[in-house]
Amino acid sequence: MGLNERGASLPMAKSGTSSFFTTKLDAVVNWARTGSLWPMPFGTACCAIEMMATAASKYDLARFGMERMSFSPRQADLLICAGRVAYKMAPVLRKIWDQMPQPKWSISMGACASSGGVFDAYSMVQGIDTVIPVDVYVPGCPPRPEGLIYGILLLHEKISGESLKDQIQLRAEDPERAGRPNLPAEVIDQVALPFGNSTKQNRVSGLVATAQLARPSDRNP
Amino acid sequence: MSTRTTEYLVTRSPELGPDGRAVRMPVLPAGMDPELRGEHMLINIGPQHPATHGVLRLVLELDGETVIKCTPHIGYLHSSFEKLGEYRTWNQIIPLTDRMDYLAPLIYNCAFAMAVEKLMGIEVTERCRIVRVICMELDRVFSHLLWLGTTAIDIGAFTVFLYTFQERERIYDLHEQFTGARITTSATRIGGMMADLPVGWTDALRTFLETFPRTLDEVETLLTNNQIWIGRNRDIGVISAENAVNHGLTGANLRASGVSFDVRKDRPYYDYETYDFDVPVGEHGDCYDRYLVRMDEMRQSLRILDQALRRLPGGPINVQDPRLILPGKTDCMADMESMIHHFKVVMEGVPAPPGESWFGIESSKGELGMYVVSDGGSKPVRWRVRGPSFINLSALPAMVEGSLLSDVIAVNASLDIVLGEIDR
Amino acid sequence: MSGEEFRDGLDALETGARPGGDAGVPAGEAADPASHPTVEMLTRAFPDALQHHVVVAGDEHVVYVGAERASEVLTWLRDDPEQRYDYLADVTAVDYGGGRPLELVYQLWSIPHRRALRVKVVLPLTALVADSVVRLWSTADWLEREVFDMFGIEFRGHPDLRRILMPENYAEGHPLRKDFPLRGRFSRAEQTRRALSPDLDDDYTLAEKEVVDPAARRAAREMEEQP
Repeated sequence: MGLNERGASLPMAKSGTSSFFTTKLDAVVNWARTGSLWPMPFGTACCAIEMMATAASKYDLARFGMERMSFSPRQADLLICAGRVAYKMAPVLRKIWDQMPQPKWSISMGACASSGGVFDAYSMVQGIDTVIPVDVYVPGCPPRPEGLIYGILLLHEKISGESLKDQIQLRAEDPERAGRPNLPAEVIDQVALPFGNSTKQNRVSGLVATAQLARPSDRNP
Repeated sequence: MSTRTTEYLVTRSPELGPDGRAVRMPVLPAGMDPELRGEHMLINIGPQHPATHGVLRLVLELDGETVIKCTPHIGYLHSSFEKLGEYRTWNQIIPLTDRMDYLAPLIYNCAFAMAVEKLMGIEVTERCRIVRVICMELDRVFSHLLWLGTTAIDIGAFTVFLYTFQERERIYDLHEQFTGARITTSATRIGGMMADLPVGWTDALRTFLETFPRTLDEVETLLTNNQIWIGRNRDIGVISAENAVNHGLTGANLRASGVSFDVRKDRPYYDYETYDFDVPVGEHGDCYDRYLVRMDEMRQSLRILDQALRRLPGGPINVQDPRLILPGKTDCMADMESMIHHFKVVMEGVPAPPGESWFGIESSKGELGMYVVSDGGSKPVRWRVRGPSFINLSALPAMVEGSLLSDVIAVNASLDIVLGEIDR
Repeated sequence: MSGEEFRDGLDALETGARPGGDAGVPAGEAADPASHPTVEMLTRAFPDALQHHVVVAGDEHVVYVGAERASEVLTWLRDDPEQRYDYLADVTAVDYGGGRPLELVYQLWSIPHRRALRVKVVLPLTALVADSVVRLWSTADWLEREVFDMFGIEFRGHPDLRRILMPENYAEGHPLRKDFPLRGRFSRAEQTRRALSPDLDDDYTLAEKEVVDPAARRAAREMEEQP
């Protein structure tokens, strides 16, 4: 896993940097954390069904120690947001995230959780990273169980790269920010801008004259 | 220490009063002065909860363990499908339909295509009709399997979840072979299907039909005569036939109460009247009857699938009309007219004549209605989905008020709701 | 397809589509009332209430009724033994845009007689009020709440008319109206801020808060005492 390359690898390290013992301790702690990441399945829609399929026998999440789905955030390590999140649901998502104790990570599963997906409309959050911090994004609509497992393995790599000496920065959480959006307002407006086919959503199709009045404002995102 | 028992006057099957509305009797300990009310608790279940089957929020007023009032709150998954539909051409809406009832996507694909074809006055080919019947029945089994697994797991029977998900994986394979996707199939198009059945698909389906009944029997052995299952489900969540019809319940929920209304029999479409199948009808209107009705529905769907496979003809799967169906790629490259048709169908979309159509089919959850209104363009003026779960869930308070807290979970599971179609 | 049409079509991409025609009301063919047993009896029972009767999509019968008589007609449709439309399949509305009136649509099915009927009530934008049919079919409870939420049509006599799909304090309007933009009226940042700002207490209706909160109980009693 490349652990020995990440931290200082020589047993006789300079003082002030990682030593043999701290890297070994890192390895043990990270092994324990990745070996039994208890997921908090925040499943809302179709991706939740794929998450359930990943937990079932064919794609078995139990081999990663993740079969114990913790529906109580207090006992969970990993929030898997599987499915589209409406603005009505956003405070619930934020609250669940805030209720999870550190160390905690999050996976945004699916296109809707990552960016709003097909739903560039009035009621959908355009990416949950506007609401909670996200560690791994798994694209797909829905991602195959293998995709979700790949995302989990990427998270394992990310966790394995963490070190205890960085814990203060990594696990920092400002209690004042509880319940508030994860990104500042200008950034939310930027990331939520329509892209791709979303920019071409207009009521009137370009070539066909419909009886309804043309609304030029519709053509603009 | 003495034990104290309290008797409750609990009404499980409220009658209709003279004004046609349900008469609810107060839930009080027997012999207690109604003025003397104990303190009630307000409990919030969801919207993030393992047993709500999605993002459903129930606010319960409890007196001890007894539910006095139940208020479902929905809208936590409202994805503005109907508004989005107004900005999409008819074929572009089909991927949206997958994501509403994600447990039976082929049924929604077919329902929408059928509604729009009715609006446009298009008759699909014989092969397409039978393939769509196969798709709809297969997804009925698919959806009931998930219902079975999640209901069992809510009540505590974890093994059944694993068995049913294993069978669902086989259906996922069938979906994937046909459409390329496991859940979000988008299999239909206006005038036909996205593609014809691949070689070997009917054999794979036949193998499934042969092996699946064994699993169903195993699950029945685990559940049907299991005293715990019976105790958790019998006489729970009872709703009378008149109440069920008045609340608009459809599907297995209505049939378990004794009303024999199945859209496939009463308003048949796609030659359903020529298929030999029965519609199971219960009599008590409780959770156990809903369970039995759905188990039998799965077996009946297998019968229909068998007959449909036998009568599947050859021939084209799509209507041979270049205004509707994309011409083949080689034709487009060789022939100017085909190129132009391809361009028009993709860029403009297929225009529908001005008009409207409300088309209801029997989905796995009840009567699914698709209402499409067109003004002559290639995009709808209004696309309305009458999701059966929306109406089924509105009957939940009538079914649980007066029951215990744990019964709320059992009744909620037995209603077979999917929040995607409730919140749309 | 001729060259001119083709070129015209491409031009439209630059200039935008041409609004043409006047299809504001679906072009169904006016039908003979005798073709549907209910409509025939309806014309005799309520001769002045029935405005139009059309057939759409080949075999779907639609009757247009005025807003004042709708409640009466629907009660008769449910209760008359020859009609017995005991199952209300759907209540919805259609907004054609451009200031045109909204159509309130009731889709009915009679289980004993196996007959379908669609009843439409046309409501001008200045008078988006209709009578609630909750006392006839309990199904209408949530269906009318949804129509209120999405279109702003008020239902007189509804026991609990509040938003159902959008949050209760949603301030951007009624989403399915044609003058409502697809992405809502506020910016995404503002929508996120509003979504995350409310208090826990706002999640509960007054009726629910009444159970545990004495202040809410007092407020509810005061609201009831108001005329």
